[in-house]
Amino acid sequence: MTTNIADFIRQVFSAETAFTLAVGILIIGLVISYLVWRWTHRLFEQTGINDAVEGTSFERTAQGMGTSTAGIIGQILAVFVYVLTAIFAFNVAQIFDTALFWTRVTNYLPRLFIALVAIIVGLLAGEKGQLLVQERLQSIKLPEVAIIPTLVKYSIYYIAGLIALAQLGVATAALLVLLGAYAFGLVFLGGLAFKDLLAAAAAGIYLLLNEPYSIGDEVRIEGTRGIVQEMDMFVTHVETDGKEYIFPNQQILREGVVRIRE
Amino acid sequence: MTGLGDFFDDLVEDIAAVLLFTQDNSTYGHFAEADVSTVVVASDNAVDADEFVSLPLEFTDVEGRIRFGLEGALDQEFVEEGDDVLCLTQSFDENDLDTIVRIRADEFTRTGLYDLFTNSRPDADVVQDVLEVAIELGKKGQKGKPVGALFVVGDAGKVMNKSRPLSYNPFEKSHVHVGDPIVNVMLKEFSRLDGAFVISDGGKIVSAYRYLEPDAEGIDIPKGLGTRHMAAAGTTRDTNAIAVVLSESDGMVRAFKAGEIVLELDPEEY
Repeated sequence: MTTNIADFIRQVFSAETAFTLAVGILIIGLVISYLVWRWTHRLFEQTGINDAVEGTSFERTAQGMGTSTAGIIGQILAVFVYVLTAIFAFNVAQIFDTALFWTRVTNYLPRLFIALVAIIVGLLAGEKGQLLVQERLQSIKLPEVAIIPTLVKYSIYYIAGLIALAQLGVATAALLVLLGAYAFGLVFLGGLAFKDLLAAAAAGIYLLLNEPYSIGDEVRIEGTRGIVQEMDMFVTHVETDGKEYIFPNQQILREGVVRIRE
Repeated sequence: MTGLGDFFDDLVEDIAAVLLFTQDNSTYGHFAEADVSTVVVASDNAVDADEFVSLPLEFTDVEGRIRFGLEGALDQEFVEEGDDVLCLTQSFDENDLDTIVRIRADEFTRTGLYDLFTNSRPDADVVQDVLEVAIELGKKGQKGKPVGALFVVGDAGKVMNKSRPLSYNPFEKSHVHVGDPIVNVMLKEFSRLDGAFVISDGGKIVSAYRYLEPDAEGIDIPKGLGTRHMAAAGTTRDTNAIAVVLSESDGMVRAFKAGEIVLELDPEEY
């Protein structure tokens, strides 16, 4: 498309004017890329992304190099805009004859840019996800639990890497199959492991909404007679003579409850 | 200054343990290396101390705080009866640690205050939440007028079974817990109703408008307390529940366990 406009400009103006125009375009490109850089900083400031990414290792690395996430993304954007205008200017002035080569580069550039952004976003999101999961699991004092946040982090990295590679045109079919297998394993094994809990929760929702029996009622569940002490999403506590029976909710729904009224 | 120094030497001589009423890390670091055992008494175990007593309420009076700390330390066997214990605590808001108290571990008769939180049927944080709601209610009242309220906490099945409704239960099919932020306002409105609030072990508000029918025979509570306290004492004796009562006449919050008063608080001081 750029070549078309460039051709049109060259048809309208003389060769010298076209060259002057090209220099003008270069200067305008410089200004626009600076504005883009400024705008990114402001956007990051306003939307609170700066606060959100603070403390992640990417941000720390960036700060180690004397810049920040906003700075890096701003710079990438600015360079992108500048290179684009430069190519446009070259086309107008027709300094290079290898128009075909540059057209390819122009087509390739946005994808390179998206790939870079995908990597950066992936790194940030991965770290944030890890932190979030870590905070949720903080109350569980079990060393093995520490693997879950790491798993979350690397899953996000993997997906980001996949997007970036796909953008660059690298064959990702094998990696996609791996991702599919991983997702399938997660859903399948997760479903298998949480089968009872899910069933109990589904039954629990009905029991809590409709309250066919409530705390204080005397009931008989599977031959156990007692007073309902507590009911939640997953289980119902029934107490009798100092013994507290804890029934999973799906069992209660399946077997039925006898309410005893006298 | 030798007189003062000697006095301090006497004060800290032969103590079995130090009760530290702070969760300040550097202060604890100071004491952790000393040759007497240090028991941290605070709301959170921020310093990761081995010997720790959880303080569920911000006791404003020093005596109540020390009493609770001592009962907790005795209960978990950090100190033994007859031991001399040094308590480092705070008496005035603007200071950090400003008070040193030397005391025998069995100085107080044990009221079961520590038991109320840790060895009751309901969870400790549920008891704490209910006490806070009662204190809040006692402070503000209903439209400036003092209100009374009775909360029966824990063993809800048995309590419900042994009581009957005075009217429709406003909490039926609702799933409100005492820790929820909306609860203060809700209970304030419902405190106009007669009867007791019943709360389960896990903190769910099971019912309001509940008429408790305990057998009051043999209940021994101070004269002058009304029917509300009598019902609380009777119910806690007959069931494993505890009860928190906000008195309408003198505005005090009292907690009952096993038919006896274990805690008496003035809401105005909190």
